[in-house]
Amino acid sequence: MGTAIPSIACLGVIGRNNNPLHITIFPTHSHDGSQIPVRSPLQFSLILSSTLDIFSLRARHFAATNVGLTTGDYGLLHAIDERLAAYGFETNTGVKFVVVVDMRGRRADSTPSAGGGEVVGGGGRERKGTGGGVGNAAAAAAAAVGLREGEMKPVFKAMQTAYIKLLQNPFFDPDEHSPPTGTGGKKITSKKFADDMRRIGESWMPGITSL
Amino acid sequence: MDEYPSGSLDPSIPLLVTLGVSGVSTHGKELSAALRDQAVLVRSAAAALDSEQAIGLRRFIQDHDASKLPWTGREPPSGTRYRFRVRSAERLMLLPPRRATLPDGIDPPSSPAVLHSPFSPLSPISPLYPDGLIDTQWLQKHQVLVPCVLLCFYTLVSDPTQATLRDNQIKTDISNIRAVLNQSGYKTRIAVVLLADQSASSIEGAQERLETIRKGCGIDAKCLFLVPPNESPEELERMAENMLATLYPVAIEYYRDLGRHARKKRSRGVAPQPTIPPTSGTSQTLSLAGWNFRYDFKSAVFAEFRVESDNALRSYDQAYEGLLSSELLEVIPSWSPRWNEARFLADVIAVRSISCLLWGDQHSRAVRRWRAHRDRMAELIDRRGRGTNNYGWKAWEARWALVMANLVDRADITDLAPSTHTLFLPPEKSTMGERLQPWELLHHTGYWYRLAAKHLHSRRAFARAIPDDDRKPPSSSPASHVASKAFTYDTYMCPEPYEEYPLDGDGGVDHGSIIISCLIRARSEFLKRQQVRLGAELSLECARELAMANDWQSIVELLRPLWKDMPFRAEGWLQIMEELSWILRGAAAMVGEASLVVAIDWELLNRGFTKRANWPYDLSKSLDGISVKAKPQIHIDDGQTLSFVSTSFLFREEEGKAGQSVDGQLTIKSNAHPGSAPVTLSSVQIQFNGCLKRVSLDHADDVDSAVQKHGAVVFSAVTLEPTSNASDDPDEEGEVITLQGVTNLTLVPGQTIVIGLQIPLRQPGTTKAESLTLDVKSDAFDLDQYQSFQPGSGANLWYLSASRTRRVTRANPLAIGVLPRPPQMEIVGLTWKEQYYTDEEIKLEFEVVNEEDVEAVAKLDVTLRGEEAPQFAVELPAKPGEATSVAATANESKLTGLSLGAIASSKSITALVSFAPISRSSQYDLTLKVVYYLSTNPGTPITQTTSFQLNIVNPFEANYDLLPRINPDAWPSVFDPDSVRDLAAEEEAGFSLPKGVSQTWCLVTRYASFASEDLRVLDVDVDVQTPASVRCRSTKKLVEPAKQEQGWLVKPRTIKEASFDIVAQKSSVDDRTPVTLDVSLVIKWTRLDDEKKSQGTNTTTLPVPRFVIFGTEPRVLASVSHVRLPPSKGNPRGELLLALSVMIENASNHFLTFGLTMEPSDEFAFSGAKKTTVHLLPVSRRSVTYRILPLPPRVPEGDDEGREGDEEGYWIKPGLVVRDKYFQKTLRVIPTEGMKVDKDGGFLVWVPRFSEEEE
Repeated sequence: MGTAIPSIACLGVIGRNNNPLHITIFPTHSHDGSQIPVRSPLQFSLILSSTLDIFSLRARHFAATNVGLTTGDYGLLHAIDERLAAYGFETNTGVKFVVVVDMRGRRADSTPSAGGGEVVGGGGRERKGTGGGVGNAAAAAAAAVGLREGEMKPVFKAMQTAYIKLLQNPFFDPDEHSPPTGTGGKKITSKKFADDMRRIGESWMPGITSL
Repeated sequence: MDEYPSGSLDPSIPLLVTLGVSGVSTHGKELSAALRDQAVLVRSAAAALDSEQAIGLRRFIQDHDASKLPWTGREPPSGTRYRFRVRSAERLMLLPPRRATLPDGIDPPSSPAVLHSPFSPLSPISPLYPDGLIDTQWLQKHQVLVPCVLLCFYTLVSDPTQATLRDNQIKTDISNIRAVLNQSGYKTRIAVVLLADQSASSIEGAQERLETIRKGCGIDAKCLFLVPPNESPEELERMAENMLATLYPVAIEYYRDLGRHARKKRSRGVAPQPTIPPTSGTSQTLSLAGWNFRYDFKSAVFAEFRVESDNALRSYDQAYEGLLSSELLEVIPSWSPRWNEARFLADVIAVRSISCLLWGDQHSRAVRRWRAHRDRMAELIDRRGRGTNNYGWKAWEARWALVMANLVDRADITDLAPSTHTLFLPPEKSTMGERLQPWELLHHTGYWYRLAAKHLHSRRAFARAIPDDDRKPPSSSPASHVASKAFTYDTYMCPEPYEEYPLDGDGGVDHGSIIISCLIRARSEFLKRQQVRLGAELSLECARELAMANDWQSIVELLRPLWKDMPFRAEGWLQIMEELSWILRGAAAMVGEASLVVAIDWELLNRGFTKRANWPYDLSKSLDGISVKAKPQIHIDDGQTLSFVSTSFLFREEEGKAGQSVDGQLTIKSNAHPGSAPVTLSSVQIQFNGCLKRVSLDHADDVDSAVQKHGAVVFSAVTLEPTSNASDDPDEEGEVITLQGVTNLTLVPGQTIVIGLQIPLRQPGTTKAESLTLDVKSDAFDLDQYQSFQPGSGANLWYLSASRTRRVTRANPLAIGVLPRPPQMEIVGLTWKEQYYTDEEIKLEFEVVNEEDVEAVAKLDVTLRGEEAPQFAVELPAKPGEATSVAATANESKLTGLSLGAIASSKSITALVSFAPISRSSQYDLTLKVVYYLSTNPGTPITQTTSFQLNIVNPFEANYDLLPRINPDAWPSVFDPDSVRDLAAEEEAGFSLPKGVSQTWCLVTRYASFASEDLRVLDVDVDVQTPASVRCRSTKKLVEPAKQEQGWLVKPRTIKEASFDIVAQKSSVDDRTPVTLDVSLVIKWTRLDDEKKSQGTNTTTLPVPRFVIFGTEPRVLASVSHVRLPPSKGNPRGELLLALSVMIENASNHFLTFGLTMEPSDEFAFSGAKKTTVHLLPVSRRSVTYRILPLPPRVPEGDDEGREGDEEGYWIKPGLVVRDKYFQKTLRVIPTEGMKVDKDGGFLVWVPRFSEEEE
């Protein structure tokens, strides 16, 4: 079993009215070695919409404890299962960015620098990493597969930049996409924005600092 | 977790058994029948206590049983410092035998057999014999069979006669029990509870007796309790607690001893030999590694009993590694039952490790441990077992997820409680900063149940893929086949393929219901934490499972509330809605929920959803094949569905007036799937608030109104008529009305129906379109959809025609402001002129027209505002003689309440407002206000006001020149007796004849018309006002052009000239003061149009600036007369001779001398004094005359026009200078007629040319 590293499975932009504005789904590595999306579009829709529960829960929690979230970064929203985890970000205009990460979405090339084998820490089970000679094999292995806090920040930053670019287009009317009446809204149809999303999703890797 | 054998995963809690209280025995049930025969019997000879106190005490102890408490490392909230599993026995209890007997039929070995525990692989009767590792029985032995503390109850008798006897009985009993225990080898501690039947203080020597008993039985002081009688339940409970707290360290000590024992055995490093060497199978016995594993496992369990989680964890890890090492599991063949036993042990150890981790709040490590075990097992099974691509492995994975869910449940983690709304725990400190998997943050159990459900799905998928051959029961399969398939399937803790998914379909594992139960549990956890959308997703998954099980009713029950108000609809997650709707529709069709079916079909017609191939999309066929009891009535509320019909309503104008009609437009757009059947709305109703109640439109196929079509837009106008039952409430006086119209309401997919409406307004206020109801009535069902209008939600497009639209940019086009009913009385200025002038009489005629439908009684107010507003009079020709005077204030004159009387409908009345001539140019505002009452509604005054602006300007302006002339009359002389005033005669006559100096002037006026139209000037005159001392006379001399019969027509902006001769004479010679003349120009004029009406002339008087005459300074007046000489030979016509006369007037009292000098000139020849002196007496004048013969002008070459002249003549300049000799001052020579002033102060004389007519 080669080492799998996280990759982005889906990027979602959700409007102020909790309406889907944009969804990009990325094929990820599957067991048989092919690259297909890990879930169907419907399932991704469900995953994205279920994060709205958490956004509202957190927002209520922040309001109750009087803690302001200055950056808008909600961090990990929840892990959907062992593979998929959703991270969230909310702009000050209420637009939400959701990144669904497939923790085994990409196969790391079995170069020595890729770190140890498929080792998940804990339990006292220890195996030697294929990297060889790595002093702290378990830590290296964990570093290769897990995610640190804040590792989604560049993704959100890039998404926000792309969104701001979209807003700068005078023909883009945000009210059309999230009407002030509070229900529904059109999706984003900008090809440039979609290209940006695709680029962000495809080029992100753990540890990357800017996109 | 329930699938694991009971006791295998239970928490290890010290076991306490009460002995000697009557009641149900709860101890020893787990002892297997085989061992029961050989069991160690512990019996109490004393009778079981049945006193209330004893039972109560036991119950309290029983209540403190910790086996059901959350398994957590935290202190229980009650603050108890102990945990016991409590079992009770009445008089006797069975303990498992310490040493197993040899089974029958085995030859005893030669040497005395070394007997071992029946739970040990050394004993042939143990299922582990000869090479098993350890099993649940051993765990159970310690958990529920062998107590660490035996709590014996006895009565302390107070009767002194029996005291000794009974005490001795107690001693004997305890000693017996102890002896039995010692003999069996169990190190169970004995504790004694003595229940006194009287209070301790009343018992004689109680303390001594207790001491005796204690010493006699060798009981520790801590383990002897005396309970006084008649204690209250609270007191009893407190005692029970105390008792248990005291016993707890004893129990811990017990397990520490056991743990020490296990470690000691491990350190021996030898594998003990079984009682009898195995003879069957491989004759293999448990290896040393196996023994080490056993000891490690035991140490760990005992540490768990002692709540030493670190120690337990360490030992478990050691045992786990030992088990999976190359010496144990790696050498066990996978076909062997021992392989599965080993897997089971690995599971048990992993579960217990995870428990310990959770217990120590190491949640992320616990999840890691969980994953690690799963990965380790997967790797092991892939490598050595039957692989992970089968239902067995998936079953285990599902079970493993459920185990975790149960463990998390059991750990009762407060931070994950539903009330905290926390979904997952942050990593503990020790793992913080590491690269964690998101899953390693411990999520609440909902996620774990969901994970289990997912694995169960896979399990079913694998089960469905089992080939038919394997699904036959072995009895019906060839033996060879059974044999070949024996090891294909992983049947660890799950059924064989023919049971998992039997071919004949009966029985088997009901995967669906297991999945649903997991999903429902997960859903309830999510819903507890307000994860409604995730809850909805799980409901959807449940519904899919239920659909497989054909449980349609449950699907409807599950999804109907979701369908009604799912968040996805309002938020626009169409894909999700669509999925849910289709599932629900299918189920609803199966159970005959006709209204639900129609409602869903109605919604799914929306083009926003994916079109399903081969679906008819025809509402009329929705209920085909569905048995319907009654005709369904479907009511769809606002926002309840994403309807394919969208509607909007607009008023064209922002404001309207009561009594008028306004344009409104209703747009109905169908967004149905292309190709779906058209839907015919039977009616549409728009509800308003305000003066309009409702507009309802009914469908009719053939409507003859004009319909425009352009593309997908159908535009038509509908005439509305009030319905007959409009005024159902008489108080409303029909003001709230209902309108009705008919149009074609068939909606073709994609079509937009635009209906233009003329809506009459009846009442002032705001009228707003509130909502709309669509009705679809068919044979199969009745459906109505309600929709409320939201301002700002529509595109606000107004269809000018079917093809052209205009955007209405008002903030709220749904509403119209209705202004009050406008007055229908008109005030018309009949004879309104462009311009009014000063000094004319102004008559304004106004007509008040009643345009109301009924007669009106009116009153007129007239107000004139402006600076010094003049008075006016109002006359009503209809009521002659009723001219009304006006009370005027400074800037306003006003007439109020002039009754006009009744004016019949569409009749009028005339009022005449007249002003006296106004002399000043000014501006006024004339306001006419008619207040009237309709005869039908005499209580409401209606006011109509009209304002006119009255501009009055001067029609003329003039300027003036006063030119001196020579008075031909001789001046009076003081020496002339005629000129002496005869005072007496004057007095007689009553007036005086003027005798003073006379002067003649010529007043030249030029007046210009400033009127905006032609005026006719009838006459021009001057009016001269003089002081009494002066007599003055004026004559009109010259008016240009010559006066016509009816005066002069003066066009605007033209100048006319008129001159007048003014002759003034002082009454007395002696009067020498200057005199001022007040002259005004009087112009009599009429308007042209007034001539026909023969109105009077208007007289405009223009004041002329004051002139001062009769100055005392001497003046020189020149005059000229032309004389034609008789014809001579050189000049047949005769020479023209000019007589230039210079009159020097001395009006002063002085004698003056003037010198006259006449310069010669080449323009003329002259005769007269070239230089002379003139003496003038006071008040006298003298004339000096020159005769001048003008020389013909020299014509410059090429210019025959002559100099400074034209055909008629030319000017010459005589160089005459008059000088006051005394003052040495040159006097100006004032020219008179035929002369003019030169630029340099001299004067010019006009020389006319010869002309024919002069002859």
